[in-house]
Amino acid sequence: MTVRIIAKLDVKPPYVVKPLHFEGLRKIGNPSELAKRYYDQGADELFYIDIVSSLYRREILFNEIEKVANKLFIPFAAGGGVKSIDDFSKMFHMGADKVIINTYAIQENPNIIDQAVKIFGSQAVVVNIEAKRWKGYWECYTDCGRIQSQKDVSDWVSEVEQRGAGEILLQSVDMDGRRKGFDIELASKIVDLVNIPVVVSSGAGSLEDIKTLVEVAKPSGVAIASLLHYKQITILEIKEHLNNDMLVS
Amino acid sequence: MGDVIGIVNYGIAGNIHSVKKAIDQAGGKTLVINKPSDFNLVDKLVIPGVGSFKDAMQELENDNFIELIQEFDRPILGICLGMQILSTIGFECGTTKGLDLIQAEVKPIVANDVIPHMGFNTIDVINTNKILYDLGCEEFYFMHSYSVVNFHDVSSTTTYGGHQFVSSINNNNIYGVQFHPEKSREAGIKLFKNFINLENA
Repeated sequence: MTVRIIAKLDVKPPYVVKPLHFEGLRKIGNPSELAKRYYDQGADELFYIDIVSSLYRREILFNEIEKVANKLFIPFAAGGGVKSIDDFSKMFHMGADKVIINTYAIQENPNIIDQAVKIFGSQAVVVNIEAKRWKGYWECYTDCGRIQSQKDVSDWVSEVEQRGAGEILLQSVDMDGRRKGFDIELASKIVDLVNIPVVVSSGAGSLEDIKTLVEVAKPSGVAIASLLHYKQITILEIKEHLNNDMLVS
Repeated sequence: MGDVIGIVNYGIAGNIHSVKKAIDQAGGKTLVINKPSDFNLVDKLVIPGVGSFKDAMQELENDNFIELIQEFDRPILGICLGMQILSTIGFECGTTKGLDLIQAEVKPIVANDVIPHMGFNTIDVINTNKILYDLGCEEFYFMHSYSVVNFHDVSSTTTYGGHQFVSSINNNNIYGVQFHPEKSREAGIKLFKNFINLENA
């Protein structure tokens, strides 16, 4: 089994944007066009997160999600502002294969994870972790890296695994958008802790950063945003680079 | 070919949308089956599926679809959970009777790796069938925690975490794939083309 290379779109409809440390948004482009570009480059999957839906407490813009899903014949995970089983259902009907959840589950109702797993299966539920490093531990943040939750990342990750979540998207509030490498210590810790797939994101600045992460932390997947958006590298180049050491097929 | 492919919509989180889109792309005509009388309008069936075995069977029962699928005498393709429920019995969330079109059981996958098994993986074709025509070296997308245990109708196996499981099955008109052809790029579209081109026996 090989590491999945996933393109991640952080969206503030109607644009893909790129926050620096989850703040200071910059417009990158049109979600459907970028999705198609990364599909053509050989992405294994696509993640789409509406990063302002929770923060602004507004309804999810399902039409925007459908437009992106239409262009893809690879797995598509979507999230941002999911607050109910009905939201999950709508996401699937718009073409999502997996739904990504963070804020509502952690702030208001962790049971939504169990409920969603029972109805849609664990493989369809991805829990997004926005981890902020403190001395000796990491804390979960919500609302796109803005609100503290008082929850230790290790505790919360174990809890969501118990509740049946099928996958973890592990992001680092400290490293996101900086393109200076991943928080490898965090990634290793979480990958070792759980027995469900962990997709690591936040911080890829070079092919070497990705290779180091894959070699050291051994995640199931790597999600890349900025490095692809700014056309510094392509997914094909990432795969070729890892392929030299037989890390991907 | 003028065959109409019925996609069974049985309430739970359908990936109906993705499956329909992929069959469209492959050049097939589709009809989403929402009620029993729709079965009369189609030449082939695709049973998609995301969710749990138990809920899936419950929904099929609520919709009065079970007998109609069991009596359907033309090609049927089950995808992922849609393949699993073709089996005799399933052990997800308790013990549940399946459609019993394939003599098999559905059990949790065993692997020395994380579960669910998620990502592109290869298939080892053991006994090829018409929908796998010209496919075998390609990778397909998997996303599952359970698999079909069967010894008679295996078309291919796949290895994950050091263990093999059944990744596709076939018995006469009944086909099943554990992977998601609708999420497997050109290889998946090719599989749908093969299904579209199946002679209606």
